[in-house]
Amino acid sequence: MLFWILVSCLTALLAVALLAPLLRRPATAGGEHSHDVEVYRDQMAEVDRDAAAGLISSEEADYARAEIGRRLLSSADKASKETDGAQAAQRRSRHPLAQAFIILILPAIGIGLYLLTGNPGAPDAPLAARLANPGNDVSLLLAKAENHLIQNPDDGAGWDLVAPIYLRNRRPGDAANAYRQAIRIRGESVERLGGLGEAIVMSNQGLVNSEATDAFRKALSLDRNDARSEFYLAYALEQEGRSMEALAAFQALAKSSAPDAPWQPLVAQHIANLQKGTSEAKPGQGPANPDAPGNPTAADIAAAQDMSAGDRQQMIQNMVAGLSEKLKANPNNFEGWMRLVRSYAMLKQADKAGEALESALKTFPADSQQGKQLVALAAQFGIKAPEAKP
Amino acid sequence: MIIEFGLYALVLSLATAIVLSVLPAVGAWRGDANLMAVAPVAALGQFVLVTISFGVLMHAHLVSDFSVANVWQNSHSLIPTLYKVSGVWGNHEGSMMLWLFILSLFSALVALFGGNLPASLKANVLAVQGWISAAFILFIVLTSNPFLRIFPPPPEGRDLNPVLQDVGLAIHPPLLYLGYVGFSVCFSFAVAALMEGRIDAAWARWVRPWALAAWTFLTAGIAMGSYWAYYELGWGGWWFWDPVENASFMPWLAGTALLHSALVMEKREALKIWTVLLAILTFSLSLLGTFLVRSGVLTSVHAFASDPSRGVFILAILVIFIGGALTLFALRAGSLTAGGLFAPVSREGALVLNNLILTVSTATVLIGTLYPMALESLTGEKISVGAPFFNLTFGLLMLPLLLAVPFGPLLAWKRADLLGAAQRLFFAVAAGFVIAIAIWYFENGGPVLAVLGIALAFYLMVGALTDLWFRGGFGKVPFSTALRRLAGLPRSAIGTAFAHFGLGVSVLGIIAVSAFQTENVVEMKPGQTVEAGGYVLKFEGMKRGQGPNFTEDRGTFSLTKAGVSVGQISSSKRVYMARQMPTTEAGIRTFGLSQFYVALGDLMPDGGIVVRVWWKPFIICIWFGALIMMAGGFISLSDRRLRVGAPARRAKKVAAPALEAAE
Repeated sequence: MLFWILVSCLTALLAVALLAPLLRRPATAGGEHSHDVEVYRDQMAEVDRDAAAGLISSEEADYARAEIGRRLLSSADKASKETDGAQAAQRRSRHPLAQAFIILILPAIGIGLYLLTGNPGAPDAPLAARLANPGNDVSLLLAKAENHLIQNPDDGAGWDLVAPIYLRNRRPGDAANAYRQAIRIRGESVERLGGLGEAIVMSNQGLVNSEATDAFRKALSLDRNDARSEFYLAYALEQEGRSMEALAAFQALAKSSAPDAPWQPLVAQHIANLQKGTSEAKPGQGPANPDAPGNPTAADIAAAQDMSAGDRQQMIQNMVAGLSEKLKANPNNFEGWMRLVRSYAMLKQADKAGEALESALKTFPADSQQGKQLVALAAQFGIKAPEAKP
Repeated sequence: MIIEFGLYALVLSLATAIVLSVLPAVGAWRGDANLMAVAPVAALGQFVLVTISFGVLMHAHLVSDFSVANVWQNSHSLIPTLYKVSGVWGNHEGSMMLWLFILSLFSALVALFGGNLPASLKANVLAVQGWISAAFILFIVLTSNPFLRIFPPPPEGRDLNPVLQDVGLAIHPPLLYLGYVGFSVCFSFAVAALMEGRIDAAWARWVRPWALAAWTFLTAGIAMGSYWAYYELGWGGWWFWDPVENASFMPWLAGTALLHSALVMEKREALKIWTVLLAILTFSLSLLGTFLVRSGVLTSVHAFASDPSRGVFILAILVIFIGGALTLFALRAGSLTAGGLFAPVSREGALVLNNLILTVSTATVLIGTLYPMALESLTGEKISVGAPFFNLTFGLLMLPLLLAVPFGPLLAWKRADLLGAAQRLFFAVAAGFVIAIAIWYFENGGPVLAVLGIALAFYLMVGALTDLWFRGGFGKVPFSTALRRLAGLPRSAIGTAFAHFGLGVSVLGIIAVSAFQTENVVEMKPGQTVEAGGYVLKFEGMKRGQGPNFTEDRGTFSLTKAGVSVGQISSSKRVYMARQMPTTEAGIRTFGLSQFYVALGDLMPDGGIVVRVWWKPFIICIWFGALIMMAGGFISLSDRRLRVGAPARRAKKVAAPALEAAE
């Protein structure tokens, strides 16, 4: 309300100021040429002054005087004619049209364009006021803590506080940095090392790389029974294709943990998958070929670490799309298909995963050894091949 | 509410600008004093409204109101207050607001100090200013609204671009815009005069202070920008012939030409049509510069094509104003009477030469700037017209101009004695050569061409003083009389001498740096030394540091000359937290007029660091010369004889010369 009162006052004030010259008694304007006369008189004076000071010769001064004098005479002549005419022209009405123009255009454009572009009634939000009364806006509290940490980068407790929040908000890069800072200041602990490892894994789309395993191993060296570290180390083995070792590690974890531990279902799922996989895999099958087409290169992974979440998502999408293209051109690549189906499933694109499975089964029929593996993999993610009609 | 009020004030200023555009022009056309009297009120009203709006935007930045999109995108709660203020114009929307603010400021100044103008001319000038304002306010509100809101407000801003976090941003754009936009007044004067169909010597006298003021600020703005780029970008260069630089340099060249042709027009009523055209062209180049910088066409022609709304809008403004003014000029030019006659060898002739060369060099820069863009948009081929093109063409064009500069003020109006002027300049030529050879001996071994260049620089400087020497009559009349006459000279003459002297100083800096600077790129480890310019630089080591919103690795160096310590120098690599963006802060130490410049490069795997070391002799002269030119502008501007012509104050004005003579 106050806003509209102010708006009205400002508009009215402006209108009054603009209308005032129209309502005033017509001023008798000096003629246009009387101003010129003044300029030429001054030029004449300047010539006299320069001549007196010896800056120009008397001959030059005479030339200049003659020239300026000609202009002066012509202007003075016009000026005297103007004064007579000006008087007559000044009797005019009070400009109803001009008044109407001003009175209409100020509110029409002012209010009209404002309503089009503005947010009437939107309050101000200066940061100081928001920080003083943050309510339960977690991002604002986090920003407050961040600012504190930028100014006091050696506040270990602060880093400890924000690191898990980052992890929960899926900002793994920030989380990893925060855990590293906390480790730098307050030393290593199971919680910090485990968190760091988890953040690294998250930044790599679930890939447990050597940097992460280092962190988990250190955590385990501090606490033999750290379930999180054990889990990720087992998962790393699984990713490396060392299925038997992974199975053993998961089984050990399941045994050492309390039966009602929250991670038991997850561990059980991995065990089940591995048991299925190892029973079906040919004995002696080595780890997945790391150079199989479609595997992200080390450079890709390094690049992904420096990216924001959005960019990273984009990169993954591109990699998956590239893999799909490659497989279309060269479908005789079992590992590639496995990877593509898994990728689509991870990206929650079930229909594409289904399509990929269907294409894969054309090369590797469902009753072949590889076809069975493909179907089993898809089934893990709840994906069925769109029933090929018999 | 305050924020929304700022937007309302901006929108209302558009309505005011429209009133200003229409009523005074109609009044001037019908000879109606009341309608014309609306002009100053509307101009002042518009200025107040734009000031409110600009003030509100600044307030939003100061209190970090992140509900304003512009603040969120370009500010951070932790940056120092100075950068919160300068960050207002460190982005597209804000810089357009600054543009508009300065445009309104100039309209208000014309309204306040235009009392000596004929009523119809003043009304028309302000009306044209109103058209320009209306176009730009519309542009801001429709395509670059700085008051867009975000709800809920983000917790923290995305920070000001680290490269812009510098005092330079607080000084450079306002100065530059004062110059850029100041030429709008000359443009408005030209269009108003064309509308009335009446242009004479008096017109030139009224325009000249505005042209002079705009030129002075533009000179300062460009020099400041050059120095800023020099120390902030860490490349050691002071001018890159970058399109953004050219965009500001072209109005400067055209404005310099305008300043000189307005002089001829004022004194001799010659070159009238040409002066009006220059006034239009100068501001057109300012508009073109705004288009180049603001439309995004520079970053990439294709980026421009993908989001053309802003670019097309400015292009439309450009076409309407430049096209309209030139059409009006074409219609009216025929009816303008040509002015006084003069012989080829005369002050007028020298100024025509000046104009000729300056216009051709403006065209050269224009072609060099636009050609790559035109080529890219037509064929998709990317070329870059770099320094070699500009140095060759522009440098060759400048040479005859610089040689002619000292002659100009020594020649008489209408017809002059070239030989006489040459005799008077003999000392300047001789002095130039003697000093140049002395410097060459001192720096021993510089290229021979540099000697000629330095001779040229000193010839310019001594030539500027020669003018004052002969005007004062030193050597002919007793010393005390000559001193008195010197003090009694019109300030415009002293301003001229300053500006020409400053030009010489800048030329000296440019030539000396180009010829004698040394550059070393070395990998250094703590304790190692490198030598440049007679100084020995020792790398002391790296240290981590912490700024308000950045962390830095600071490399410290100690400088010794002949075994004696002359101080420390440090350069750092910073990473700004919010954007995770690295910058390099160069370390600069000034010795007299020369500078020692150190910039850190990349860290090497073996623990060393790449260090770039420059010795830049006389480099300060480049900007110091610009400062002297600027001082010349202000001295000339203070000449009270420029502000005359008010019939109402006749009695006072007649008294003025008597007072001055007594001084």
